[in-house]
Amino acid sequence: MARTEALPVHRESYAAAWWRTNATALLFMGPAAVLVAVFFIAPVAITFAMSFTDLATSTGLSNWTWNGTANYQRMFRSAFVWTILGNTLVYVSLTLAFNVLVGLGVALLSVHMDQRSGGLFRALWLLPRLSPSVVYALMWTWAAASPPFGMINYLVAPVGLEPRFWLQSDPWLIIILVNGFVGASFGMLVFTSAITAIPQDLFRAARVDGASAWQIVRRITLPLIKWPILFVLIYQTMSLIASYEYILLTTDGGPGLYGTEVWSLWAFHTALTNYYGNLEFGYGAAMAAVLVVMGLVISLVMLRVFRFGQLVAEPKVEVG
Amino acid sequence: MSKGTTPSDIAATRFTRRRLLATTGALVAVSACATAPVGAPSPTPATGGAAPAPGAPATVKLTAWTIGPDAPSYYRRDNLISAVDILNKKIAAENKKVEVDATFESGGQWGDYLQKFTLAAEAKTAPDIVLAGHENFAPWVGPGYVIALDDLIKKYQNEGGVKDVIPTLWDAMKLKGKTYAVPQDTEARPMYYRKDLLAKLGWSKDKIDGLPEAVKKGEWTWSDLVATAKEAISKNVVETGSGWYHRPSKGADFYGYYYLFGGQMQDGASGKLVLVKGAFEQYFKMHADAVVADKITPRAVYGMAGKQWHETVTAGKVLFYNAGTWTWKDWQATYKVPEQSLWDNVGFMLIPAATKGGKPSTLSHPLAYMVTGNAKDPDAAFRLIANATTPELNSRHSVESAHSAILTTQTKDPTYSKDKFLLATSYMQEFTHFIPNHPKFGPYDDVLYRLLGAVEGGQMTPSQAVSTAVSELQGQLGDDLIVK
Repeated sequence: MARTEALPVHRESYAAAWWRTNATALLFMGPAAVLVAVFFIAPVAITFAMSFTDLATSTGLSNWTWNGTANYQRMFRSAFVWTILGNTLVYVSLTLAFNVLVGLGVALLSVHMDQRSGGLFRALWLLPRLSPSVVYALMWTWAAASPPFGMINYLVAPVGLEPRFWLQSDPWLIIILVNGFVGASFGMLVFTSAITAIPQDLFRAARVDGASAWQIVRRITLPLIKWPILFVLIYQTMSLIASYEYILLTTDGGPGLYGTEVWSLWAFHTALTNYYGNLEFGYGAAMAAVLVVMGLVISLVMLRVFRFGQLVAEPKVEVG
Repeated sequence: MSKGTTPSDIAATRFTRRRLLATTGALVAVSACATAPVGAPSPTPATGGAAPAPGAPATVKLTAWTIGPDAPSYYRRDNLISAVDILNKKIAAENKKVEVDATFESGGQWGDYLQKFTLAAEAKTAPDIVLAGHENFAPWVGPGYVIALDDLIKKYQNEGGVKDVIPTLWDAMKLKGKTYAVPQDTEARPMYYRKDLLAKLGWSKDKIDGLPEAVKKGEWTWSDLVATAKEAISKNVVETGSGWYHRPSKGADFYGYYYLFGGQMQDGASGKLVLVKGAFEQYFKMHADAVVADKITPRAVYGMAGKQWHETVTAGKVLFYNAGTWTWKDWQATYKVPEQSLWDNVGFMLIPAATKGGKPSTLSHPLAYMVTGNAKDPDAAFRLIANATTPELNSRHSVESAHSAILTTQTKDPTYSKDKFLLATSYMQEFTHFIPNHPKFGPYDDVLYRLLGAVEGGQMTPSQAVSTAVSELQGQLGDDLIVK
């Protein structure tokens, strides 16, 4: 009887097979993944971890202890927490409205001018964004200074408005304008690009059909740039929730009792500035952690409301 | 036959996945190595670079950070530099030598300066000596950013003028019974008044010049100040709201008013922060009345830019205004007011008492030198501070920057004793108070300062502000607060 001998079969382990299949993908994604892990995920993880400690100047990096949810309890015990949350909502919603509406308005106006004038017009709107933040904010504080100083007081005098200390009497107006003039230019650029990408045939056909300018904007332009509008809305919302620099430089959260203190500025004041020197990193981290959660929730809601799924869905017809 | 490419050649030159991985790995490894310079020199030790030549004195290199931010206070740095020679003569026999690299920040912000120090301290790059407000060391003690000086004070009690420091100033240098700083200067926060404007109101020269004494005795009180300011407004001597200016930004000055009403900030026995409800209610009411009811103070003064505040008061547009003694020199240096013009037109007194016969008040905020936890040779650092604490050096600083004496011996110093302003304000030290040394004083001050803005802005009544302060501070500070 012939003796049969099993041939040696090289059995590749599961791990080796997985590595062989995915190594290239990992290699190419690796650098980006490391960047995301180091600069996005790690800071959030550290912030959350710090929020459960009493880390402060008075403990240094050597004497801190875990304190459970004490920072969160302290935060929500504060008599001012709802005022600050309300301020954040006012700041984000009003500035966002200004940014998007003015950005859209400037884009619509400038694309209907001749190319050179439109470009110049848009370049002027970019000036606030090009100016260094501190210089730009300081110019506003001087413009809104208390009487007898302040350029705004000189500008409004002819229309009969009493001179006033604008930063104190109308702090939200100044804050929204300071932020808005910077933010509007972002929407302006995105919307201009989107509007000029719309095929001109659609506009010509509409004019032939006798459509008014408003009807063209309402029925053609706006529907065709809804995804850029969605992008600007979400991006600006996230930026505004985390931004505080212009408030810091103009009103510093005042006047009075947290008049314009927003959540991110509250976290900054707690963790990174203190007139008498004790920076409360752990408590500030708890505030920042709440901000992260707020940002995530708002993003998810906005993506759902504006049907982000449709934006990234496979096209129903083959293109190309 | 031309040499063709064989399959093995292709295999050799093909950029296989394995080779790609290996190459990338090698590149990463090379890059990583490149970030660590080979043979980079090790950091120079603080106590000297190259080894001293045989017989040469061992050099101790010290660093020091100081701040004004008022420009005329540069002797905070220069006195340390001058003390080097004095100290070196004393330690020559020990075959030691001290050098100092001292800096002075002018015009900047306290918060930025303090933050810079704490970050440096945590990174072990802090200077050997730091100058800061006496209350600043409270949060620095825990992590060891500054060290206790009691043993060094005892060891070098005869060095410089350490033993001559005015005893009450040492109280402001302590935390839980230990001393962490050496006073560098002190001051008072007088109530300045315009002599020329009072003259326009019909006051005689004797009455104007006698005002500080009347305030000191408790004869001329806060209600008199308010009445005078209202009269000046009604007679168009000053504009509405220009009767009294308080400090425009956050700072210790405000507590001078709180003390008028029996305020207390720290419990002597436990070291806990104290909030006296009645005193704070009266303090808030005083400010609310001034802005809302009596209109002697503009709402805009809270948060006004410092430059605008000083330009307004130096232009002679405000009747009463509260500022530090050092502003007397700063008005001359920065706002270009001739000294004689100040003497002719501006007077200074304590903050008037709340009631007739009551005690007037002021507040002092001594600045102090501290030896940091990063000091490689704390003895040398302390001895340098001690030798910068002499009647001669402190007096030249006092005279140049309008800060009060910290040494009992300064009043006899020829430089100090010739300074009319310092002599005229020296009695204020008998009426002064300090802010507390407590790590949680920041939140305490922040809440009360914001509530002051709410009261002046009409957002809250004084009693509402006190209730809010109590509930908020109890929530923030817990057991570290005593409410009376």
